[in-house]
Amino acid sequence: MPFYRCAVPKESVPYEQRAAVAKAFTDVHCGSTGAPRSFVHVVFDEADDRWETPYFVDGANRAGRPEALKTQLLSDLIDAFREVTGVPAEQVSGRITEGPASWTMEGGMVLPEPGEETAEWYEHDERIGQGQAAAGG
Amino acid sequence: MSRVTFRCTMQEGQVDEDTRVVLADGLRRIAADLLGESADDVPVSFSDIPAGFGFRGGAPSTTSLVRGAIVGGVDQALREQVMRAIIDMWTEVSGCTVDELIVSAADA
Repeated sequence: MPFYRCAVPKESVPYEQRAAVAKAFTDVHCGSTGAPRSFVHVVFDEADDRWETPYFVDGANRAGRPEALKTQLLSDLIDAFREVTGVPAEQVSGRITEGPASWTMEGGMVLPEPGEETAEWYEHDERIGQGQAAAGG
Repeated sequence: MSRVTFRCTMQEGQVDEDTRVVLADGLRRIAADLLGESADDVPVSFSDIPAGFGFRGGAPSTTSLVRGAIVGGVDQALREQVMRAIIDMWTEVSGCTVDELIVSAADA
């Protein structure tokens, strides 16, 4: 977590833009929350979902952050999506749902509550980043 | 009807069909051993994220997700026991590292 699923029309967002959106979302999320970068997952889904707009950012985050931060985060994510893809504002919307951190394990560790990330967790983030690089990611 | 379901999401090309059968059996065994479910009744589904559609930390992802849902919920100690059992089984069967796996066990 966080897990951001971008519902998009089929073949509407080429790879270069998907990669750029993923990087931008990582920058936005980590800039807003201080979370480690390897925490941030972004997936694009061309399934024919019935969202209220053709493009939809469906985020799942750890619970426990202030409402104002969540609202700003979603706004910044949508802005980043639009900036990269050029999609008009009226065609993009989104939501962020939340679940308890303790329900998920990542890298063999139970996720910490927001704001309670330890030095060990950031070392773990660095290790994952190195693994991704070694795997060609 | 089982009170436990598993939804597994992998990056395309990372886990072959034969391995998925073994992983599904492993998940059902964990649900039986730790949660008292009838293994044959536990639904397990798999889906792939197409290559070039999944990212982690802004780079292409090699991460798999196993999402368990438990109707009625469990206490945290049992939840962690279930998640650790899944991680041990999944890494052994699939050959992925612990860093390439996210496991959740949510109350439903």
